[in-house]
Amino acid sequence: MHTVLIIDDSDINQTLIKALVLKLGDCQPVLFDNPVKALEWCHDNVPDLVIVDYMMPEMDGLKFIAAFRGLHGRNELPVLMITASDQRDIRYDALLGGANDFLTKPIDRVEFSARARNMLNLRQGQKYMANHVQELEVRVQERTREIRNREKELIFRISRAAEFRDPETGAHIQRMAHFSAVIARGLDLDAKTQQLILEAAPMHDVGKIGIPDYILLKPGKLTHEEFEVMKNHAALGYELLKSSGSEILQAGAEIALSHHEKYDGSGYPKGLAGTKIPLLGRIVAVADVFDALTSERPYKRAWALDAACKFLEDSRGAHFDPLCVEAFLAGWEDVLEIRQSFQDEDVPAI
Amino acid sequence: MLPAFVLDRASILERLGDDLEIYPMMLDMFLQDVENNCNSLATSLSAGDMPTLLREVHTVKGLLATFSDDAGSAEALRMEMQLRRGDSSCMAEAVAALQARLREVAGILASEVAG
Repeated sequence: MHTVLIIDDSDINQTLIKALVLKLGDCQPVLFDNPVKALEWCHDNVPDLVIVDYMMPEMDGLKFIAAFRGLHGRNELPVLMITASDQRDIRYDALLGGANDFLTKPIDRVEFSARARNMLNLRQGQKYMANHVQELEVRVQERTREIRNREKELIFRISRAAEFRDPETGAHIQRMAHFSAVIARGLDLDAKTQQLILEAAPMHDVGKIGIPDYILLKPGKLTHEEFEVMKNHAALGYELLKSSGSEILQAGAEIALSHHEKYDGSGYPKGLAGTKIPLLGRIVAVADVFDALTSERPYKRAWALDAACKFLEDSRGAHFDPLCVEAFLAGWEDVLEIRQSFQDEDVPAI
Repeated sequence: MLPAFVLDRASILERLGDDLEIYPMMLDMFLQDVENNCNSLATSLSAGDMPTLLREVHTVKGLLATFSDDAGSAEALRMEMQLRRGDSSCMAEAVAALQARLREVAGILASEVAG
């Protein structure tokens, strides 16, 4: 059903136009003799076609069209203006002012029907296009969400693949990623960055894929040479991820390279200090070390929480960025909840 | 002096797409409104409200054209153009003539309705 707005101060014209509109079929006429009232109606209603007279009290047809076009979402709706055949200058003004076509007075049914139908067909096309665009937008959003979820799953599985080669667990990845997000929130980073770090942090040790088993799985203390090889996992992870077009993988590359840097410059691989260390790396360093300390492993017992907190506090400005430690401790309630949500399954006896 | 109005039913009906429902409805509405139209012309003239008079004359022009009164409509157009130029001379006589024309047309349309 098309809504046809008719604005004419003449009763006889209103009656005639209404009758002609009804004869078009599938149309609902809405009548106004006052253009100001009609404009008010248009604030809350969207007509499919507007038929407006030129000469009316309070506001002429040209001013009505200008005001109507100024309303949000009314710029493309078809407008027919009724003019007398002697008003060529007004027709030109109306065309420039946003009328789509004209009806000549006295109104002729054949001309009226043809022009009104053309305008309604135009409107139907507009509606179809608008719906189609909306449908496409929804489908693009769905597909984007699917791709993003697949990307997240893939990242998690790649991270797990690296972790499978050493005693770390899937729960460790989840916990340290969520701890990282807690720190990001405590630092007042925007929601997008918080989400980015949550998704990228699991890749911090992906470079371990390139470390030989005899070093990675060695039960005892590493020799100096072995430790030098082990340190390569930061650069290996970076090399693996750096060329990706994905924002998450690029963040993962930055984290892989910088999460073993220390605030006082004594870390590796570059020996960066202070804010020269990328922020994502400073954040993940706190989250990763805290979780490693407080987790039980085949070769060590878990530290008590207060001992781990004391270690973080004592290492402020040396190993860790003081602001990141502060943000972590400020989110302590969330930290406890995360530990509760992601628990290690079976840890072999020491 | 305008020539006498002659009802051209065929021409009106042609424009209305030979719609025999709308035609009598239009006649009724004209007859109901004609005295209002005459009064509006007189009121705006006596008030010296030329913009309103111009609009009323414009409305009457359209009404007469709707009933195929080409001569009456042309006279209303002449008055409209004069008023648009800001010239209100001899407007009292012109308004009186237009009122007379409206009533003349109304008389003939009333006969058509009585039929």
